[in-house]
Amino acid sequence: MRPSLRLLNLEVPGSRALYVCSICRQEARPRPIVARQFLRHASSNADSLSERVRRKLWGTDNPPGLKDPYGESLLEKRFGKPKPQEPEEPQVEETNELAEPSDGLEPGVSYEPATTWHGLERVGHLGRWKDAPPSEADTYGSFAPKHKLYKKGPLSLAAHQAAVEISLMQALNRPLTHVCKVVEHDKPIFKLIWKTKVLPTSPNWGESLKFHNENAKKVLFYVFEQIGGTQPEAAEQEQAVEDIEVEEFENFEIVEDPSPPAPNPRFFGYTEPRFKSATSLPLTDPAIKFAFLKRFSQLSGHYFPDNIVSQITNVKHAMQYIQGQLHPKPTKLAEQLENDKQLQTLSNVKVFSKRQTTLHRDDEKGRRKLIESELRARGLLE
Amino acid sequence: MKRLQLQRWSSSVLSAQARTGGRLQHRLYNGIRHQSTASPAAPTANDQLIEEEPLASPIHPPNSRQSKYQLPSPPVEAARESAKLAALHARLYLPSRLPLETLARSLVDASADPNPKFNNDSLATLGHDLLTHYTTEYLLCTYPRLPLTVIFAAMYAYVGPKTLEAMAREWGVEFAAAPGGEVDPGYLQFKRMLPGTEPKPVTGTARPHEDQKHWRKSITSSVVYDNEFGDPVKGPKDPSEQSRQDTPNLKGVSAEQASATFVRAVMGAIYLHAGRPAAKRFFEQHFLSRHLNISDLFNFSQPARDLSRLCARENFEQPVARIISETGRKSRHPVFVVGIYSGQDKLGEGAGASLLEARSRAAVAALKGWYLYSPLNVRVPSSMEEEGAAPWKPVHVDLGEVIV
Repeated sequence: MRPSLRLLNLEVPGSRALYVCSICRQEARPRPIVARQFLRHASSNADSLSERVRRKLWGTDNPPGLKDPYGESLLEKRFGKPKPQEPEEPQVEETNELAEPSDGLEPGVSYEPATTWHGLERVGHLGRWKDAPPSEADTYGSFAPKHKLYKKGPLSLAAHQAAVEISLMQALNRPLTHVCKVVEHDKPIFKLIWKTKVLPTSPNWGESLKFHNENAKKVLFYVFEQIGGTQPEAAEQEQAVEDIEVEEFENFEIVEDPSPPAPNPRFFGYTEPRFKSATSLPLTDPAIKFAFLKRFSQLSGHYFPDNIVSQITNVKHAMQYIQGQLHPKPTKLAEQLENDKQLQTLSNVKVFSKRQTTLHRDDEKGRRKLIESELRARGLLE
Repeated sequence: MKRLQLQRWSSSVLSAQARTGGRLQHRLYNGIRHQSTASPAAPTANDQLIEEEPLASPIHPPNSRQSKYQLPSPPVEAARESAKLAALHARLYLPSRLPLETLARSLVDASADPNPKFNNDSLATLGHDLLTHYTTEYLLCTYPRLPLTVIFAAMYAYVGPKTLEAMAREWGVEFAAAPGGEVDPGYLQFKRMLPGTEPKPVTGTARPHEDQKHWRKSITSSVVYDNEFGDPVKGPKDPSEQSRQDTPNLKGVSAEQASATFVRAVMGAIYLHAGRPAAKRFFEQHFLSRHLNISDLFNFSQPARDLSRLCARENFEQPVARIISETGRKSRHPVFVVGIYSGQDKLGEGAGASLLEARSRAAVAALKGWYLYSPLNVRVPSSMEEEGAAPWKPVHVDLGEVIV
């Protein structure tokens, strides 16, 4: 009799309803014996085959090397007999005790893992954050102004202002990028900046300024000396200086708006710089270039990507980039084909302004009216 | 010979006053033969036809889409905008004097647009006559002794409708699904036959006793009554019947017929616009350049008898078949090489598995050698049309085939 049939007969004989295939039955049976076939006999067993082979190979009763070179197998863990206590056991325990303090727990404090988050220490905002009134840190102030500058006049005005400011900072030997801390100067200061001329004769920006008069130089130096110091103090001092200056410069007879509380227009209504020489200033020094572009982007609202920054070599380039002349936007292939003079002259090439679909092809082949008439005949088209 | 004023004809083709019965056709149709179904009738009848056309058809602005759908064929302005048409013009290396508008017109079949001002009917008639004229004179001058049946078969092979259809396909001409004003003018436009339409046998020919089917039709009578391919054609009609004839033409034509008409129309258009030399060049480049093995067109039933009749007619000595060599006479596959001699001259030689087969092969070779005689430096009569042509020397004219 075949083994499977014999196994079948072990169960309730004659009942087909309870039939279980031999493989499943084999699976279901307790199989210590089967598992034992795959057990690697540990070398702890002195009479095991591997131990005997090792002894024979080495020719001694105490062969060198690990007792079990393959480690303890999973099967052995599960099905193997609990090993008799070995003399090495106490040593392992000792090492465990030594390793315990390295977990971060005090000796003697028992660690109990938490199952829920109740009672655990909390990190972060303790109350309900959205109910708290907004603090100063919550308000967001953009670095760039809301509205970007596009026209040539305001752009050159911004470039002039940035150039004068950077030159002043360099003349004063102050950190150049600190000019960005004052987003907008007061009107008298701006007027002084407007009147200052930048001469692109010297590569050193600090020496390229030509002031309106000695007084203006003094005032501007004083004001920009304060910028970049402790902010509130500087502001106070500026305010103090401005008070004096307003009195001093009233005799300059520049038209002034009588409504100061209204929000100032950009550049206080100026649309053109007085001197346009700032556009030819070189931007060779990386520090000056960085500071200028930072201030310029703050005033104009345009961002300069890295590849553009590396291409820009003078102030004019920066303005050209903003005006779209340096890097014109790539046109679409369809537009290029449509504007291609050579293709226009070729009679055997036709460039369509719209995508040509199957409908167009049907139409130009005369198939469309047949399709439509057939659809109409079947009542599928109105 | 005075140069003909071609430009006048071409203007007549392009203008609305199309005169299908012009001088040229008078000249070509003066012969006895009534050539094709498409040939126009008397010029008076055509003039009447044109006047009967509804001239007051509503003319819409050409760019509006709706009006295009109402036209039977693309408007003339569309020819300049079609890339397909320009590509076809360039591909065929057509002369620049042939405008795109005429090429577009040659792509409109009469079944698509019945108006003779806009279809290619007149161009195709001219082109067909030119093609058959040039092919006939080429065949007759190059092979003066060809039998009539072979001439008919060769004509069919050179300028028959099947060949012309293959040429149109090789030129890359595609068919429009249905003709209409919105269709790109680069497509060949014709009204298709309904599926399942059986080609009817031609009736109403000029041949007397046409209804007597069992009567023998001599091949010589085909020269008179049939077309240039030896196929029966409809006889000439009265003008009144001709006008009635146009209506069943609207039923539709086969793609083969439409393609053939297009190729003929192109030939006619080249002749009209670019002149005779250009037309001849086009004919040589596109038609004569196609290889045709004329010796395959022969079909002899009794070559030995024909050869003996031929020798008798030409006063040669009676042909005698002699074995030149043989091998394996007693074997399963013997080979005999037989030569046919007329006196001391060997007329032909053939090999076969039996003596009779070898003899008939030798007779066929001898007959083909006779019929396929081709004189050197052949000139066709139409070469005299060119200015400054050399004086004409008469070509070889043969007695004709052997009639047994």
